[in-house]
Amino acid sequence: MVGHIKLAGLIPALLVIILPSLTLAQDVNFGVSPAEVRISDLPPGNATDFELIIHNKDEIAHNFTVTTFPPPEQERREGRAEFPDDSWISFSSPGIEIAADSQANVMVTVAIPQGQKWAGQDWEIWLGVACESPDLLGVELYVRCLVSTAAGKFNIGLFIGSAVGVVLLGCGVYYYFRRKAKSR
Amino acid sequence: MKVAVTSVAIAIMLAIAVSLPALAQQNSTITITMTGLNEISISLDKTQWPLGTIASNTDYETIPQIQWCTLTVQGTCNVNTFVVGDDAKWVSDPNTYKWTLSSDGTNGEHIYGLWFRISGDTTRGPLGDGYVPITKTQGEFWPYSAGSSLAPGDTKQFGLRLLSPTYFFSSRQMQTQITVSAVAA
Repeated sequence: MVGHIKLAGLIPALLVIILPSLTLAQDVNFGVSPAEVRISDLPPGNATDFELIIHNKDEIAHNFTVTTFPPPEQERREGRAEFPDDSWISFSSPGIEIAADSQANVMVTVAIPQGQKWAGQDWEIWLGVACESPDLLGVELYVRCLVSTAAGKFNIGLFIGSAVGVVLLGCGVYYYFRRKAKSR
Repeated sequence: MKVAVTSVAIAIMLAIAVSLPALAQQNSTITITMTGLNEISISLDKTQWPLGTIASNTDYETIPQIQWCTLTVQGTCNVNTFVVGDDAKWVSDPNTYKWTLSSDGTNGEHIYGLWFRISGDTTRGPLGDGYVPITKTQGEFWPYSAGSSLAPGDTKQFGLRLLSPTYFFSSRQMQTQITVSAVAA
């Protein structure tokens, strides 16, 4: 009985259909520039932006998506740490349709939140550009985005200014109350 | 009284006057370097492998075996390449049935294996025959960690092998995707 059930399961297994769409085979061909972006001295609390150029070299229009990708440690440039939060990176358009043999720009904004702990850091994150397709084989191109934040500096001017202000303010208040007491 | 108020006012103004330039210095220069406006680009001359009806627990290889698809490095920079696979999903209802992609190229019930082999590579892979499993974790395509990234103009031919599950539900059209990716070396 058990053998009969197994056989009954195997027969339909032989009838299964697998894999891709029925459209004609196509190639996939596109490029992204720049291949690497290096942002230096970005102070925490500030934002900056740059453009990615996606070039559809195919003879038909394609939809492209842009996402972030955290590279594994061994793939990062030397001395680069993992980018702390990919929500700090945004795109003017995470998806874009590009006509045949044409190119389009996507604005990338990198915004670092306020905080001394984000100062003086060297991070790396990849920006992945993929061509949407139902086909078996797809291509994704990664742009290396190297972000270095400005080092936290001791603000001597602010410190002296504040100190002088506090001292003078203290003297003024003291002088005022002294005069007031004397006048009584 | 007037003298005291004046003193306090002067003190505050002095403090502000000294502090403002220092505060203004918080806006340092941000430098963005686009490395030489390099373009990264690879192309594949084939993207589909229509297998048709398949049997369980059977190996299927592309024809020709290892020269089925050609990857060409275009653009202007050397690249490191990767490959990653995914589960095969039922086209009619991807959320209800799938074949899980094996993590080592083997198969099982509703588990299938995927492999690739680059033409000329006869030693890579767990069996030492050049076939390397494609898994859901991004792995090296061309073995750049040995120090050989691909340069513009380089081409690599490769083929695929699919090991079907030992058992699966019949009459369902399944679809999967293999992504070949590249990053500047």
